[in-house]
Amino acid sequence: MNSLGITLAITGAVLAALFAGIGSARAVGLVGEAAAGVVSVDPSKFSKVLILQLLPGTQGLYGLLIAILLLSRVGVLGGEAADLTTAQGLMFLAASLPMAIVGYFSAMAQGRAAVAGVGITAKKPEHNGKGIIMAAMVETYAILALLVSILLIYNIAI
Amino acid sequence: MSTTKYANAVAAIKAMENTLLTRNDMEQLIGASGKAETEALLSAKKGASETESAETVWKMIKSYAPESRELEILLYKNDFHNLKAALKSMISGREANRYYVRPTNLDLEHLSGILAEKDYGSLPVHIRETAREAYELLVRTSDGQLSDSFIDAETLRIIQKDSEDFGGEFMQRYAQLTAVCADIKTAYRCSRMKKPRVFLETAVCGSKELDKDALVNAALEGTESLMTLLEGAGYSEAARLLNESAAQFEKWCDDVIMELAQTARMKSFGAEPLAAYYLAVEAEQKNLRIISVCREFGADRETINERMRTLYV
Repeated sequence: MNSLGITLAITGAVLAALFAGIGSARAVGLVGEAAAGVVSVDPSKFSKVLILQLLPGTQGLYGLLIAILLLSRVGVLGGEAADLTTAQGLMFLAASLPMAIVGYFSAMAQGRAAVAGVGITAKKPEHNGKGIIMAAMVETYAILALLVSILLIYNIAI
Repeated sequence: MSTTKYANAVAAIKAMENTLLTRNDMEQLIGASGKAETEALLSAKKGASETESAETVWKMIKSYAPESRELEILLYKNDFHNLKAALKSMISGREANRYYVRPTNLDLEHLSGILAEKDYGSLPVHIRETAREAYELLVRTSDGQLSDSFIDAETLRIIQKDSEDFGGEFMQRYAQLTAVCADIKTAYRCSRMKKPRVFLETAVCGSKELDKDALVNAALEGTESLMTLLEGAGYSEAARLLNESAAQFEKWCDDVIMELAQTARMKSFGAEPLAAYYLAVEAEQKNLRIISVCREFGADRETINERMRTLYV
């Protein structure tokens, strides 16, 4: 059995979960800081800023999804890991990278946009929806990366 | 992550901006028939918080950003004013406390004692050397005006130096504008009063935009030369207003600082929005004082409007 192949595939799963998760954690924390600042002055805005805080959390979930799909595809979750060649292992590793890299950076960018949205909510709560939409636009690129990673994972011949 | 500093503080400040008085509020206050109506209007806008003093706002800002040295530059003017007050009180034997302005970076309770004991090491670094030199100058010459002018020029020099050393772009611009406005005012007054070169050289600080020697020479030649210099340096509006009235020039000085503050309004991170909010509160309080004083002296609505400073919101 070529253990390098499966090691590379598992590394891919780890990277997807790791970087997307770190990006989300940092971004959700950043928006949380800003949201807490607003709530400390006006507690009635809690529910509005909470939505903004949740937005950059999705990348972490996408990373987790990719990790589970990848581990499932290579049989690790079923208990019978596939005998992958080094090339196949590299392909799985590459398949995870869109989610790992785009997940990290889009979460950070979305966090900054969401903080700006918190600013809108603080000053003009009636325009809270606009702040949410602007921050949600960043999500597009995380979803595109998620799609690419899924397509690759399911189309790599084993 | 340095670019995302103070997210918490800036968001809180943005929520507080809703309680700042707008142009419409000021119009209503100008039109208010008396103290009772003024208080009712303020209470309706600000709720239980009423008008927050600059000191309260400063304490709040520092609680959000306790490690920011950059923000402390905003209080340097007050610090050096308090130094002047403490030195004068030492010489005259009067109680200094009533002349102090707050907020300040200094420990006002012990300031007079520190100066009396010449324990300059207990003062914050930015004021230490100036305190020592000003004290010596005052003792040597017994010229309070010269000592004040020296401290004023040092204030501007240190604001500029510290903003360069640990301030961001916003604070550097603030320092430049503060120095330019103060230098123009000093040079103009000295020129009108025909002060000698030695006094001008002590009183004028100079900045990147207005060279000290050029300013001193122009002031010595006369106000016309000074105006020509200002026009050449891109301060023709300041020169025009200075010719019209000192009050209009003072308003222009406050307005350029507020225009700078407004550039930080849209930012979500960093010390700039915090500094801008503090400047906004100062401007608001100045406007309220203008309304109050103008009313006391029976000024008409048009006069009050002319003197009103640009607002942050």
